[in-house]
Amino acid sequence: MPVVDIAPDELRELTGHEEKSDDDLRSDLFDLGLEFEGWTDDEEMQLEFAPDRLDRLSVEGVARSLRYHYGDDRGVYVPSTNDPEWTIHVEDQPPGRPYVTGAIIRGVDFTEESLESLIQLQEKLHATMGRQRAKGAIGVHDLTMLKGDAATDEARSGAGKTIRYTSVDPDGERFVPLDADAEMTPADVLADHPVGETYADLVADFERYPAIYDAIGLFSFPPVINGRRTEVSTGSRDLLVEMTGTDQWTVDRMLNIVCYALSARGAQVERVEVEYADGSPGEYAGQTLDRPDLSTKTKTVTHDRVEGVLGVALEEGTVVDCAERAGLDAEPTTADGEPAYEVEVPPYRVDALHPLDIVDDIGRAYGFNELKPRYPDISTVGGRHERSRLEDAARDTLVGLGFEDLLNFHMINEAENFERMHVDPGDECVGSGEPVTIREPYSEDYTVLRTWALPSLLMVLENNTHRSYPQNLAEIGLAAEVDEDANTGAAERRTVAAVLARTDVSYEDAKARLQALATAFGKNLETPATDHPTFIDGRAAEVVFDGHSAGVVGEVHPAVLVEHDLEVPVAAFEFDLDALS
Amino acid sequence: MTTRLPPAQVALLEAADAETDRPMTDLAGEAGLKPEAATRAAFELDDAGFVAVSEETEDSLALTAEGERYREEGLPELRLYEAALDAGADEEPVGLGDLLPEAGLDGDAVDIALANFARKGYGEVDSGSVRADPDADPGADAERAALEAVAAGDASGVEEATLEQLERRDLLGRTERTVRQVRLTDEGVTALMGGVEAAERVDRVTPELLTSGEWAEVEFAEYNVEADAEQYQGGREHILRQTANRVKDVLVGMGFEEMEGPHVDAQFWINDCLFMPQDHPARTHWDQFALERPDAIRELPEDLVERVRSAHLDGVGEDGEGYHSPWDIETAESLDLRGHTTSLSMRYLSGYQEGDLEPPQRYFSVEKVYRNDTLDPTHLLEFFQIEGWVMAEDLSVRDLMGTFEEFYDQFGITDLEFKPHYNPYTEPSFELFGTHPETGELVEVGNSGIFRDEVTEPLGVEADVMAWGLSLERLLMLIYGFEDIRDVHGTLCDLDLLRNVEVMH
Repeated sequence: MPVVDIAPDELRELTGHEEKSDDDLRSDLFDLGLEFEGWTDDEEMQLEFAPDRLDRLSVEGVARSLRYHYGDDRGVYVPSTNDPEWTIHVEDQPPGRPYVTGAIIRGVDFTEESLESLIQLQEKLHATMGRQRAKGAIGVHDLTMLKGDAATDEARSGAGKTIRYTSVDPDGERFVPLDADAEMTPADVLADHPVGETYADLVADFERYPAIYDAIGLFSFPPVINGRRTEVSTGSRDLLVEMTGTDQWTVDRMLNIVCYALSARGAQVERVEVEYADGSPGEYAGQTLDRPDLSTKTKTVTHDRVEGVLGVALEEGTVVDCAERAGLDAEPTTADGEPAYEVEVPPYRVDALHPLDIVDDIGRAYGFNELKPRYPDISTVGGRHERSRLEDAARDTLVGLGFEDLLNFHMINEAENFERMHVDPGDECVGSGEPVTIREPYSEDYTVLRTWALPSLLMVLENNTHRSYPQNLAEIGLAAEVDEDANTGAAERRTVAAVLARTDVSYEDAKARLQALATAFGKNLETPATDHPTFIDGRAAEVVFDGHSAGVVGEVHPAVLVEHDLEVPVAAFEFDLDALS
Repeated sequence: MTTRLPPAQVALLEAADAETDRPMTDLAGEAGLKPEAATRAAFELDDAGFVAVSEETEDSLALTAEGERYREEGLPELRLYEAALDAGADEEPVGLGDLLPEAGLDGDAVDIALANFARKGYGEVDSGSVRADPDADPGADAERAALEAVAAGDASGVEEATLEQLERRDLLGRTERTVRQVRLTDEGVTALMGGVEAAERVDRVTPELLTSGEWAEVEFAEYNVEADAEQYQGGREHILRQTANRVKDVLVGMGFEEMEGPHVDAQFWINDCLFMPQDHPARTHWDQFALERPDAIRELPEDLVERVRSAHLDGVGEDGEGYHSPWDIETAESLDLRGHTTSLSMRYLSGYQEGDLEPPQRYFSVEKVYRNDTLDPTHLLEFFQIEGWVMAEDLSVRDLMGTFEEFYDQFGITDLEFKPHYNPYTEPSFELFGTHPETGELVEVGNSGIFRDEVTEPLGVEADVMAWGLSLERLLMLIYGFEDIRDVHGTLCDLDLLRNVEVMH
């Protein structure tokens, strides 16, 4: 879950509640669903939050939520926006990153803290909605360093200053990126600049790289890095905020969240026009979009649905009140003759996909912990699955025979599963077979699913040579193999495996227990001699229940014992659990 | 012919006499036996006919503390008489008040003196004046003599009536004592003459001893029953399995049926049915184990795939919206090790696994899931997930809360708090916090919610479904407080920890 650093003093200031103590704030934040994780070195609160409310990725958003929670604010709020003076002209942009959006922000008054908050918001949006910048990336620029091209089309409404989102040859241009002193080409940046190296994968396959130009030249290389020319500092008063990405809706929503945050600091939002040229890549070729689009949307929620989800009878007034306290506006209406609400949802809400999301908001404002739990009056009959009953019966029998029941990992590596047991995947014996393999394993130790369980038991014996003997260990668990006929491509089974490790153990001891198992399940046991590379020649047999070959039993070969650092003999068996049913 | 007897019996036999009854205590001393051992041996010899044991109960008399005091200082009534005579009460009555200090009487002793003074004929007391009878003879006081006699140990000359009187006055205590005496019988003598040998001292009881009857002739060596025995390592179910079974029992008891399904499964069942966008961070290899081989499922139900795809792109319902994320069939068909058993819930709810399900239904699973997370003291790459869901015509958040309160109550976790949370597939969602039964801390005990319409509608489910999950290891850690889960679950386990952990009940 994402974590965000929030300064309590900023919270007090932005909510207008200077009287709240740190503990008060922590408790209020918990009510909102924000869990306190600890303090940072800078004495900020680390809050863990759920990724549905991305508008809370900055202190401004958290403060907004708190104000609604306290009742200081009610209903939908949308900041006013001024008419556009700037245009982002989009042409020849990379097909792999066709979308852009932006806004002009006027009159910001940054402090160290509020600038840091903006930078953190950017980072967190990148990490969540932006999918590590792949889906959407934000660039913030000092507007005074930009020079717009004159408008080429007089008929357009006053949005006379133009910047261009387009593409550039990897070596086709030079600029001074942030945190650098010399001019570099975009290709240089990817190769030599630390930020460039991190994000190289996002554009490395493009023929031409994304670039944003003004009249002076290239000032941004999204999603990688901005130029130094437009670097923002606490002295910056007017900003250009631009976002590029692979989905228009995503970048537009990220922009909304940033606009709300800056507006909360007293800045004024000014719209821009995003003009997609005819024939340009993406869905909006030939269209001009007015951005940011801070229009609200409407969801219709029936009164029944609200009562049904919460489980209590509610007055209309209560529902409306709760909606307002959640930052929404609910207008009573009817839908199909039933009482309902038309709920207006502000544009920073990226999570409201369905009327149900509104019901959740109403519930939170009402206070879920106000609801009295009730045990549902529905009657069902419980029971265990057949396979697990068989497994339990087999396990009980093994425990009754004196075995210590184990629970080992299903993931293992090929050396443990095959080589150390002296088995080759191509052999035709118990334990051989093509293992299910993991594409990007956590470590070398866990690269495949085990094809049998005896390797796991031998590993436990190996790790416990300092514990007292006898060690009679057994496990009933999963084993799997690649099987082209299975729908999932893998044949999964339950295997029964046991080892007896003791100074005077022999084949007979293993067979005796096997026989007891057979008797317990009413099966006839036969053990015709067989060859198996894990076992001593002449001391291995097939396990045959009622005429069906199900596994192997024998004395483990000294080479395998020594391989596992064991100094006592081991007798063992393994067979398919289903053979007992 | 030699007679063989246990050594204790031999010693007693040799000490006994044919002519006289000898007290057991004497014989025990001579034979070098503890009194109980001697008694036991004597009765065994009596049963065998070698000795005759007789019992007598004897009265043993002893003065009480009070009796002892009166023996030394004189009985109160006698002291009163002496003082009365000295004061000339044989001629003229004397005031009682004047006599008491002389007699050295106060408190209860006064009443005792008065009570016995007249009874024994030492004089009269009338209206506080005492008259002494000049002819009375304190020297002949039977009770005084009896006190002396008992103190001396020979009360044989004392009349019973006097003893009873002393007993009544609580000056005398009687205890009964059984005195046993042993005398050799003729057979005993004969046996001794023929030679008596001490029989063996034996360790083990053997079938031969039992069947031959020799058990009666041997003595069984005493064992140090307090000594430690050899460590016994029996079979035992793994503690995590015990916990899992306990959880299963609770759920079955609450009407839940168990689910079953594959560990290797298509992303479709694991993630897509759950309305998780295909570019969701949790679907990358950072969180889930994608498989190299096999790599794709062979068959998925076509209509369902279409409905799920539509939900992802366009949402469900009139006011529904989808995700602005790409959706392709290859991703849906690719295979992972399941990251949660909610894949089973999807298979069941879709009707694919067991046929269409009509409400009400309750299903659960306690089975392994795999997460590409980290391997450290509190995290494993594969662990058990407890998963449960309830389907009914109308379910509310209150039903969710009520069901889970009941479940956790069975484990001693009470006072649940429901913190509003977020999951891509449930709305509303709650993290469950409970009070730890031992530490009293508030700890997270699970995650829950009501499935979104975008999940249930494509599956063809019209009723409400609520679900919840929790890692079994987490429940185990809460109950047992293990420090490192790797000692318990997996191939890195410590046998000794598993052997010594307390059984769950």
